[in-house]
Amino acid sequence: MKTAIPDPTVDDPRVRPELILGGNDFTTVTDKVAGLVERPRPPRAWYVAFAVSLALTGVLVAMIGYLVFTGVGVWGLNNPVGWGFDITNFVFWVGIGHAGTLISAILFLFRQKWRTSINRFAEAMTIFAVVCAGLFPAIHVGRIWLAWWLFPLPNQQQVWPNFRSPLLWDVFAVSSYMFVSLMFWYMGMIPDLATLRDRAKTKVRQIVYGIFSLGWRGSNRQWHRYERAYLLLAALATPLVVSVHSVVSFDFAASQLPGWHTTVFPPYFVAGAIFSGFAMVMMLIIPARQYFGLKDIVTMRHLDNMSKIILATGSMVGFAYAIEFFMAWYSGNPYEMFTFLNRALGPYSWAYWIMVSCNVLTPQLFWFKKLRGSIPVLFVASILINVGMWFERFVIIVTSLSRDFLPGSWLSYTPTYVEILTFAGSFGLFFTLFLLFVRYLPMVAMAEVKSVMPQAHLEEGVHKGLGDYWGDMPQQHGEQGGHHRGGKS
Amino acid sequence: MSSLRAQENKQFYWRSLDELANTPEFQRWAQDEFPGGATEPDGGVSRRKFMQLMGASLALAWMAGCRWPKEEILPFARNPEGFIPGKTKQFATSSELGGVGRGLLVTSFDGRPIKIEGNPLHPGSLGACDAINQASLLEMYDPDRSKILVRREHGQELTQSWDDFAGFARSHFAGLRAAGGAGLFILAEESNSPSLLDMRGRLLSAFPKAQWLAYEPISRDNERAGAHLAFGKPLRTNYAFDRAEAIVSFDSDFLLTHPESVRYARDFASGRRAEDGKMNRLFSIESVLSLTGAAADHRVGLRASEIPAAVCRLAAELYSQAGGSLPLPGSGLEAALQQFRSSTSSSAITPFMARDLLAHRGKSIVTVGPRQPAVVHAVAHLINTILGNVGSTVTYIDEPDAMCKPDAESIRPLTDEARAGRVQTLVILGGNPAYNAPTDVNFAEALSKVGTSIHLGLYDDETSQLCQWHLPRAHYLESWGDTRAWDGTISPIQPLIQPLYGGKSPIELLAMVTGDQMTNGYDIVRRTLQPLTSGLDFEVAWRRLLHDGVMNGSASPPVMPQLSAQPISDELGRLASTTPSASEDLELVFTPDTKVYDGRFANSGWLQEMPDPVTKLTWDNAALIAPATARKLGVSHGDVVRIGAGGKSLEAPAYVLPGHPAGTIALALGYGRKFSGSVGNGVGVNAYALRNSATPHLASGVKITRTGATIELACTHDHHAIDAVGIKEIQSRIPELVREAELSTFISNPDFVREGVHHPPLVSLWTEHDYNGHRWAMAIDLSSCIGCGSCMVACQAENNIPIVGKANVIRGREMHWIRVDRYFSGDPEHPSVLFQPVACHHCENAPCEQVCPVAATTHDAEGLNVMVYNRCVGTRYCSNNCPYKVRRFNFFNYHKDTPEVAKMMYNPDVTVRSRGVMEKCTYCIQRIESVKITAKNDRRPITDGEIIPACAQTCPSQAIVFGDLNDKTSRVAKLHEHHRSYAMLEELNVKPRTKYLAKLRNRSEELRDRTFDKA
Repeated sequence: MKTAIPDPTVDDPRVRPELILGGNDFTTVTDKVAGLVERPRPPRAWYVAFAVSLALTGVLVAMIGYLVFTGVGVWGLNNPVGWGFDITNFVFWVGIGHAGTLISAILFLFRQKWRTSINRFAEAMTIFAVVCAGLFPAIHVGRIWLAWWLFPLPNQQQVWPNFRSPLLWDVFAVSSYMFVSLMFWYMGMIPDLATLRDRAKTKVRQIVYGIFSLGWRGSNRQWHRYERAYLLLAALATPLVVSVHSVVSFDFAASQLPGWHTTVFPPYFVAGAIFSGFAMVMMLIIPARQYFGLKDIVTMRHLDNMSKIILATGSMVGFAYAIEFFMAWYSGNPYEMFTFLNRALGPYSWAYWIMVSCNVLTPQLFWFKKLRGSIPVLFVASILINVGMWFERFVIIVTSLSRDFLPGSWLSYTPTYVEILTFAGSFGLFFTLFLLFVRYLPMVAMAEVKSVMPQAHLEEGVHKGLGDYWGDMPQQHGEQGGHHRGGKS
Repeated sequence: MSSLRAQENKQFYWRSLDELANTPEFQRWAQDEFPGGATEPDGGVSRRKFMQLMGASLALAWMAGCRWPKEEILPFARNPEGFIPGKTKQFATSSELGGVGRGLLVTSFDGRPIKIEGNPLHPGSLGACDAINQASLLEMYDPDRSKILVRREHGQELTQSWDDFAGFARSHFAGLRAAGGAGLFILAEESNSPSLLDMRGRLLSAFPKAQWLAYEPISRDNERAGAHLAFGKPLRTNYAFDRAEAIVSFDSDFLLTHPESVRYARDFASGRRAEDGKMNRLFSIESVLSLTGAAADHRVGLRASEIPAAVCRLAAELYSQAGGSLPLPGSGLEAALQQFRSSTSSSAITPFMARDLLAHRGKSIVTVGPRQPAVVHAVAHLINTILGNVGSTVTYIDEPDAMCKPDAESIRPLTDEARAGRVQTLVILGGNPAYNAPTDVNFAEALSKVGTSIHLGLYDDETSQLCQWHLPRAHYLESWGDTRAWDGTISPIQPLIQPLYGGKSPIELLAMVTGDQMTNGYDIVRRTLQPLTSGLDFEVAWRRLLHDGVMNGSASPPVMPQLSAQPISDELGRLASTTPSASEDLELVFTPDTKVYDGRFANSGWLQEMPDPVTKLTWDNAALIAPATARKLGVSHGDVVRIGAGGKSLEAPAYVLPGHPAGTIALALGYGRKFSGSVGNGVGVNAYALRNSATPHLASGVKITRTGATIELACTHDHHAIDAVGIKEIQSRIPELVREAELSTFISNPDFVREGVHHPPLVSLWTEHDYNGHRWAMAIDLSSCIGCGSCMVACQAENNIPIVGKANVIRGREMHWIRVDRYFSGDPEHPSVLFQPVACHHCENAPCEQVCPVAATTHDAEGLNVMVYNRCVGTRYCSNNCPYKVRRFNFFNYHKDTPEVAKMMYNPDVTVRSRGVMEKCTYCIQRIESVKITAKNDRRPITDGEIIPACAQTCPSQAIVFGDLNDKTSRVAKLHEHHRSYAMLEELNVKPRTKYLAKLRNRSEELRDRTFDKA
C-alpha cells in the first residue's frame, strides 16, 4: 500500500506519487487539521502575529477615518495623476485573490488532485484579499458616503449608473467574484465544519460550528447533493477567474490613455493575477506548513507544482511586457511609444526595473529543480514576485497618468504617509482575517484530502488517479473511510 | 432712460440710484443737496448719514441694505422701477494704479459686486481687463483689510473711531493752518485723479507751506525724464501698435507691465492678423524674458546695462543705412551716436532692425522700457521723430499732472527733512513706503522722527505699524473718485457698496484735513468734474458720465513737440563715458511683479496663485538666472542663493529661466511682506531690501553664492526637473500640439496646419448625434494670445474657483479651469516661447463621459460636456481619461475657510463645489443660459457675440472667440473653418469643440535660423 516514492516531486510514469505523505491515515489527517483548531489556546507566536496585524488594522481604520473626514487630498494624488496607491492596491489585492478560485475551481475541473491540500487555504486567502481589494475602490472616491451610487439601486434621483463605465463593470465583476468565492469556500467547508462540531468539547464551539455546518450529517444523499453543487459552483466560478481580472484590466484598456489603451491587457492581467496569487499562496503556506506541522499534507510536490505555475505565468507576464513594447513601436503611435520609453527610462524607471527584475527574472529560477526544492528560495522568490506585481500595477497606473498627451500637464506623483500606512494597514486586515481563519477554521480541506488518499480507494489498490469521471470525487470516503468521524456522527 | 438704453452698446449698464431714480423725488433731491430739512451732520458720521438720507428720500436704498445684515437695511416701501432682485446689473467705474486709470464695469448682484470686467468705452480697456484689476474684487472683500482706526502712542495701540480722529484732526490741523502749514508733509501715491489733484490744490492753498510729495516704487521717472530731455517737458508717449509694421522694443514689456498694456495688447494683436493683410514684426531686446519678448519675432536677451548702447547703436545704424535721407536734428548728434557703433559683430541684430525700421518709416515704433535711463528714452524719441513716426504711430500728450515730481526726488527729501526734525505732521495717503522705499533712505527710521504721522491704507501694513494714526482706507469699489486714463480720459470711480469696514477715501481724508465743507467723496467728485464738463446741464452730463464710465472728449489733445538735440548729445557723451564694460559682473534687475505689482496686492490669493505668465511660478518670487550663468555658478533650479548687492544681501531661490540673458539676475518686487495680511505674509523674499535710490531698477556688481539649501518652487509647469527622455519628447510633441508657422509659409501654403498630424480617417461606428439647436464652440487664436493669464483670473472670479495654497500647488492641485500652457522650443539660451490656453474642449465624443460610473458628466443637447456636481462621487476616472487634463478635483473642501464676508463675492449663478467633486470649464454655461433666457423672452434668436464666456470677455488680445457652430455666419463657425484652425489631438477622434488657430510668426527670412547675442 504505502509504496511512496521518497521524493514526491519525481514523476515516475509507472507509479503516481502519493499526495499525502508521512503514513497518515484518515484519523491522523483529521487529528492534525482539526487539532490545530481545537487547541485550547494558540501558540504565543500566533498572539504576537495577531497583535501586530490587529494594530495594523487599527492603523488602516485610522487612516481611512482621516481620509473620510479630511478629503482625498491627504493622499499624494494630483490633477493628472488621479489614481495612485489606491487603485494600485486594489488591482494588487484582486490579483492576489485570483489563486484561490483558480485552485479550487479550475484545478478541480481539471482533476488536479494535489489541489486538495491547499485549496481551502488558497480560497481563504482569496476571500481576504478580495475584502482588502474591495476596500480601495470604496475609499478612493471623493465622497465616500455616496459610493453606493455605483450600485444599480433604485433611488430617489431615478438615475442608473453609467453602464458604459468600466468602473461599473468592476463593481459587478468584483462583487460577484467575492460572493461566488465566498459561497464556494463556505460550501466546501461544510463537511469539515461538521467534523469540528462533532469533535467540539465546549458548548460554544458545538453551537457555532453546529450552526455553520448547516446540519450536515454525512449521509449519502447529502454527499450527493453536496458534490453536485460543488461541481456546479466550480463551473460557475471558473469563468469568473478569467472575467474578474479581465474586467479590472478594462478599467485601463477601455480608456484612451497611452499605456492603458491596449488589447493585451485582459490576458496579461489574468496571467499576472494567477502569478501573484500563487506567489501569495506560496508565501503564506511555506511558514504555515512548517509551523502547523502540515508538511505531510502540503508536500514539496505541492510547492513544486505551484512554482511551475508561477514560472509559466511569470513568463507570460514577461512576454506581455515585451509585447507592449513591440505593439507601441508597431502601432507607430508616438504617444504610445513615449509611454513605454518613459516607463523604462523616465523618472519612474526605478519602479519599472523593480517590476521587471521581480516578475520576469525571479521566476526564471524555477527552471531549476533544485531551486524549486529549496524552501528559502521559494519563500524569497514568492515575496519578490509579490513586490514586483505590486510595482507592475503602480507602473501601469502612475507612469501612464503622470505623462500623458500634453506635456503642459505632466506631473509626478509621490505618495504621502497616509497612503503608505493605508497600504500597510490593508496587510494588517488581510493577516488579521487570515490568523482568525487558521485559528478557528480547518485550514486544510480534510474531507477532500481524504478523498485523494490511498485509503479512499481500497478496492483499487494504490491511488492511481485515473478513475472514471466521478471516481475521484470524495463521495467514497463517506462509506469507506471508516476513520472519518465527521461523516458518521 | 430710454435714450440711455438706445446706446450703441447692447448691454444696459447703469449705476443704481442716479439712473433708476428718474423720479420727482430724485429731481428734487438732485437740485437740493440736503433735502427735507436734513442738515449736514458733522464729522465722521456724515457719510453714513448721507447714504441713509439718500435711501430714505428715494426709497431706493437697497444699495445700502445689500450687505450682511446691519442696521442700514431699509426695506422697500415700493419696489423701485426696473429693479429685479437676483438680476445682476453692471456699473461703470474705474481704478487707478500708478497714476493711470482703467475703466471697469463691475457686476453687482443685489448690491454686492461680484465680478470686474473692462469697460468697452474706456480707451485703456476697450472691454478687456488685466488680472490685477479683476482680482481687486477679492481685495475689497478681504477680511484682512483694516477695519478700525488705530492710534499708536507710547507703545500702546488704541482703537479709535472716525469721530475721535475728526476731533483730533480739527484741533491738530487748525494749529498747522495757523502756521501756514509749515511742517506738514503729504506723501501720496502717484495719481492723476482730477479730484485728488483738486484737493491737493485746496490743501496747498489752505496750508501754503505744506509739501505734497508722491512716491511710487514702480516708477516712470525715466520715461518722464527722457521726454523732458528730448522735448523740454515731461510728455507722455502713446503708441498705436495696430498701425505699426515694425516695432523695436528695448527692455519694454508693453504687453503686460505697461500701464496701458491692455490696450496695447489688443492693438498689437490686431496688427498681426495676417488674414486682414496685417502682420507687424516685433524685435525685442530685453534684460528679462517678458511677454513682449515672448511675443517677439526676433528676441535678443541683453543685460540691462548693455541696452543703452544698443539703442544708440540702432540710431547710428539708421543714420548710416539711410545715407543722409534722415533728418538730423542736431549737428553733434550723429557723432555722439556713432561712438556706440564700435562693436559690431556677425551676431548683432541691429543692422536688420534698422533696415526694417527704415522700410517702414512712419509706420514703425521704437519703445523703451521704464528700466532704462532717461537718455535712452530720449534716443528712442529721436528715432521715432526721424523715422516720421510721431503723429502716426507715436503720439505725445502732456502729462496730466504737470506738477508731478520724480519719485526719487520725493522720498529722499522727505526723509532728510524728517531727520532734520522739520516734519511735524506727515500724512501718508495710501502707499507703503516703510516697505517699499529704497533701503538707503531708511524710511522707517525717518518716520520715527516725524512729529505726527497719519497713514491712510487698506491694510494695517508695514507703514501703518510705524505711524501714530492708522486710518482704514475705503477701497475704490466702495468710494467716490475719478481717474485719468493713459490718454487723459476722465473716468469716475463710483462705489458699488458702502465701505465694508468703514474706510474713507483719500479725497475724503483730505477734506477732513483741509476742513472742506464738502466731506463726502460724492460731493467732492461732482465739484471737481462740474467745471470739466462742457456746456450741457451738469446733471445730464453727470449721469452720462456715471453710465458710460468715461467723460467724452476728455482725452488730452496730442501735442507735436519739438525735439531738441543738444541735451541728448550732452547726455550721450556722459553715457558713453560711463558705459559699463565689465561683463564678468553680475547685474540684478528689479522687476515689477506681474501679479502683486509692487507688493500692494500681496494679500490677494487669486493673484498669488495665478502662475506668472513666463515662469509659471506661484506664491513666490525667485531669482531668475540664465541657464549658462546657472551652469557657471553651479546653481540649479530651486537652490537658495545669497544675492549680495550694495553691501546688503538677501537669500532667494534660484529659477533657471531659458532665454534669460546671461550675466544678469532678475528679482520681482513685491514679496516678503510682513504685514500684508494672512495670505501674503511671508510669501517670497523682499527684493526691496537690495534696492537703493541710486539703483532703483538695476544693481551692478552683484555676487551670488549658494547657501546649500534648496526649496521646492510652486510652479504649475515643470514641477520637477525634466529628464532627457521627457525633454526630447516635449520637443517632438510641441509642433503638433501648438502649431505655428512663419507668415511666408502661411502665404505660400495656407493649409500648412492640416499637414501636421497623419492619422487614419476619423470614422464613427454609428450615426453621430446631430445638434439641431445650438452647437457651442470656441476658437482660440494662438497668434493673438500673448499668454498674460487674465483669462485665468476672469474664470476664477466668474466660476467661484477656490485657491488651494502653495503646498497644494506644489502637489499639483491648482483649480484653474483654464490654464495657459507655456512651452519653450529650441535652444535654451534663445528659446521661442509658445502659449496655449487650455480649458475643457467639450469633446462631442467625450472620453470623460464614457468612464464615469455614475453618469455625473454627460452631454447636453447643445453639445456641452456638463458636470453634475451633486451626482459626482469623485472617482477621478474622468480626469484620468481626459487627454487635455482640464478636469480639476476638489481634493479638500477648499471653500471651508472662506470668511463670511468673502462669500458675498460668489457668483450666485455658479455652484460652489464641495470636496470630493470633479469640476471643469463649462463654457460659462450660466452666461449661455442667461442670454438664452433673455433672447427667449424677447422672442428673438441669439445674435453672434452675445454670449461671451468670462475668459473671452476679458482677453486683452481678443484671442478667444465663442459662439454657435450651427450659425454659419458666426465668428466661431468661420474660425473653425479657417485655414489656420486645428483641433488639438484630433487623431483621438474625441471631436473637440474648441479649436486652435495656429500661431504665425513673422521672422525675417534671412534671420530665421539665427540667434543673436548682441544688439
